[in-house]
Amino acid sequence: MIKEPRRHQAELLVIGSGLAGMAASLFALARGVSVAQVGNSGVIAFTTGYLDLLGHDERGFVDDPWQALIRLREDEPRHPLANVTENDIRAAFTSFTQSLTEMGLGYTAPGAHNVLALTPAGTLKPTLSLPLTMQPAIAAMAAGLDTLIVDFTGLNGFSAREVVANLSQRWPGLRAARIGFPDMDSGAEVYAEVLARALEVPATRQLLAERIGPLLGSAQALGLPAILGVHRPDHVHRELQSLLGVPVFEIPTMPPAVPGVRLRELFETRLPQCGVALEPQHRVKRLELHTQGVTAHLEDAYGEVTIEAAAAVLATGRFTSGGLRADPNAIRETLVNLAVSQPEGRAHWYRPDYFDPRGHAINRSGVMVDEQWRPLDATGKPAHPRLFAAGSLLAHQDWIRQRCGAGVAIATAYKAVDAATQAARSG
Amino acid sequence: MNTASPIATHTIDFKAAARDLLPPGASYDACLSCGLCSAGCPASGLEGMDPRRFIRMAMLGMNEELSTTPWIWTCTQCQRCKYVCPMSIDVAVLVGLARGAWPTEKKPSGIVRSCEAQLRFPGTSAMGLQEEDFVETVEETVASVRGQGDRFARLEAPIDRQGAHFFVNQNSREPATEPEEMGPLWKIFDYVGADWTYSSTGWAAENFCMFTGDDQAWRKMVEQRVAAVNRLGCKVWLNTECGHSFYTVWKGVERFGLKADFEPASLVSYYARWIREGRLPVNAEWNTQGIKFTVQDPCQLVRKSLGDTMADDIRYVARMLVGEENFIDMAPSRSANYCCGGGGGFLQAGMKEQRWAYGKRKFDQITSTQADYVLTPCHNCHSQIEDLARHFHGGYRVVHFWTLICLSLGMLGEHERKYLGPDLARLGLGA
Ligand SMILES: Cc1cc2nc3c(=O)[nH]c(=O)nc-3n(C[C@H](O)[C@H](O)[C@H](O)COP(=O)(O)OP(=O)(O)OC[C@H]3O[C@@H](n4cnc5c(N)ncnc54)[C@H](O)[C@@H]3O)c2cc1C
Ligand code: SF4
Ligand code: SF4
Ligand code: SF4
Repeated sequence: MIKEPRRHQAELLVIGSGLAGMAASLFALARGVSVAQVGNSGVIAFTTGYLDLLGHDERGFVDDPWQALIRLREDEPRHPLANVTENDIRAAFTSFTQSLTEMGLGYTAPGAHNVLALTPAGTLKPTLSLPLTMQPAIAAMAAGLDTLIVDFTGLNGFSAREVVANLSQRWPGLRAARIGFPDMDSGAEVYAEVLARALEVPATRQLLAERIGPLLGSAQALGLPAILGVHRPDHVHRELQSLLGVPVFEIPTMPPAVPGVRLRELFETRLPQCGVALEPQHRVKRLELHTQGVTAHLEDAYGEVTIEAAAAVLATGRFTSGGLRADPNAIRETLVNLAVSQPEGRAHWYRPDYFDPRGHAINRSGVMVDEQWRPLDATGKPAHPRLFAAGSLLAHQDWIRQRCGAGVAIATAYKAVDAATQAARSG
Repeated sequence: MNTASPIATHTIDFKAAARDLLPPGASYDACLSCGLCSAGCPASGLEGMDPRRFIRMAMLGMNEELSTTPWIWTCTQCQRCKYVCPMSIDVAVLVGLARGAWPTEKKPSGIVRSCEAQLRFPGTSAMGLQEEDFVETVEETVASVRGQGDRFARLEAPIDRQGAHFFVNQNSREPATEPEEMGPLWKIFDYVGADWTYSSTGWAAENFCMFTGDDQAWRKMVEQRVAAVNRLGCKVWLNTECGHSFYTVWKGVERFGLKADFEPASLVSYYARWIREGRLPVNAEWNTQGIKFTVQDPCQLVRKSLGDTMADDIRYVARMLVGEENFIDMAPSRSANYCCGGGGGFLQAGMKEQRWAYGKRKFDQITSTQADYVLTPCHNCHSQIEDLARHFHGGYRVVHFWTLICLSLGMLGEHERKYLGPDLARLGLGA
């Protein structure tokens, strides 16, 4: 068959559609840079919705992440967050949460301190910024309000009783109830995403409110699993609060969870509207680097696509997302074969005790960059003057242990886009 | 169909088949068990199955169960699961394979019969419409459109015109049951001066053979249609408003390695092009009542083949036709859109309860847009979405693009308004 060749051209190519890639596109748009972007959703799918900056260090939970960053600069000078100034991190985080809010997914502005937010199991974790639909939990807990937590028959991955059991010490006024979701109460498995979409229909909200209302009793607040809509959560949240007359908050659920779907759909809808040439759910197969920029080759359902750009930001994530690969004896970067900082041989990847609080060396492996955020090749030099790297792909951080996933993604995307813009516009 | 499990003609080793069928890096071993596929699939829970479970069972070698579950006829092969999967794992491929393994007499008879009808006559119509009937209906309808006024006096609907630029196919539903619906399409071609032709062979636009899981039948179907286009030497195979008909030919040519010297295209992309070029000067001035519209992205045309470029064209045309402020998008949409539940032969499979359950999500999506009309460039979507409105008492109607285009250009005849409501029944017709 005869097919027209398809080509995109942009100043900046963003490779990867995780948090780092999405943040990079937003930052580039804000600078008036034209963007093409390629990538699957990656581990966004697993997110709770909370945006962590730095939640844990060797002293335990971090209350003031900005203070902790000062220590991090001393203790771990190679950590990606140690190489971004406090001002830049603030600017990046604020710009990112503001963009999300303006696009219809409200987030709290990053403050001076971390807040302790609820996990799906009803334990607490420190984070910096959270969705507005989850925020009322903080005040309700602080005030010790009489609160009802509701879960649903057939919904796996969230148990109101478990949440109440784990929190009851700290929050005595909690109570659990289980109900059937309107029209989905046969007992068969239901998914949070399906409930969330159903709540976008006003009549379903009404029915749900009618089921919950009588159970409230003396409760002054209501906690639900994260099901308050997918594309207009703030609206659904407000509507349900006004139907019930008490503050309502969401608690994240186990995957497959709604907060990740919200982020993905938001980006996939809004970025193209802002002019980003987005190739969602595809991967760059081959990246050519040449003096004037880069050429990316990929294949979508219809056939081959080529993208030309003056500079590129590589934000392909770690092992699950495919940015790194563990071969029998070495860890590799998959697209350009960049140098990867890693332990000497497989025997050193993990400590003998999986739960060792010092973490595992493999988690700190990754791509190294120079002060311009250009990834290095095997000779220790930047692989290419127009290639930049950001996100969890980077070495010398352990986001799982340090609870700095979003922080690393957002802050490094900010810096990488800065540098890439200069390179792209240097002619 | 009765849902008692039949014995498959042979039991497939799904894990081995996946190794051969899935592209490198997309093996089932990569499954993270995250459940995003199931959460995002409207067929989840029907017949006690969902895509994640299907994959797990394949991994565990539960081939017997997978070869016999009737769920495969409720999966529309829409590939939404693959789209949302972090590892791009494709369940639809194996569903197709499982369908093929069912003994023909146990397959949903509606799909099988539609495919058989297509293979019976050279026109390839699933409604069994024969070549002479098609030609005759077209000729009669042309005469009647010409009678609508001077401006259509020279309107033509050529058949078998050698060397025409566009080879246009036609869903059987119009010539068989509502020939007056072809008028608006021809008027558009006439308006832009398109160099086009129908063909007396391979003219039909529906294709159920792929959905039977019988690759040989699918291939035969595509071969006939490709031969018809090659015979007339047309440059562009212009698929009218229909999703799976585009997909089956385009994909079939690729899959079976057929020689096709033409470019496949969707009519809606040409609407968009003609509007951009000023050749089809539609506008929304007629919509003084602020009637609201949404669009259904046929997954066969968007997610599974032409991608978001197609979705963007659909929206461009829709916005120009109804006015920016009167267009409300569904969420999710474009490549992430839900199948309506009419695809994969579901409409022909006789499993009504399951089909409505599947379609409930689409119904909710439409309802929350509060649109008065759903525009869709696919006959299957059209039928299913209309049926959902009937079943769930929805307040919307479903309409073709050609109807609105002609309405906007003031050339929609009195009898070409079957899908319009009372709000538009007389618009532009004078007193
Ligand atoms: C279970 C879980 C829970 C988490 N919870 C939180 C939380 O509550 N708060 C928090 O702050 N952080 C959390 N994180 C961490 C956070 O999600 C990650 O640190 C962050 O998403 C990393 O972003 P990234 O963009 O660098 O990488 P990823 O999100 O992994 O994205 C990488 C992207 O690159 C794409 N890609 C790979 N190869 C190619 C290619 N060749 N071409 C194109 N694209 C390619 C992938 O498809 C993917 O889109 C969590 C992570 C996990 C796994
Ligand atoms: S979405 Fe993909 S990775 Fe997740 S369970 Fe489904 S097939 Fe497995
Ligand atoms: S192809 Fe569509 S219907 Fe079938 S399992 Fe995937 S999402 Fe569900
Ligand atoms: S009927 Fe429409 S939505 Fe459903 S599979 Fe076909 S094209 Fe897709």
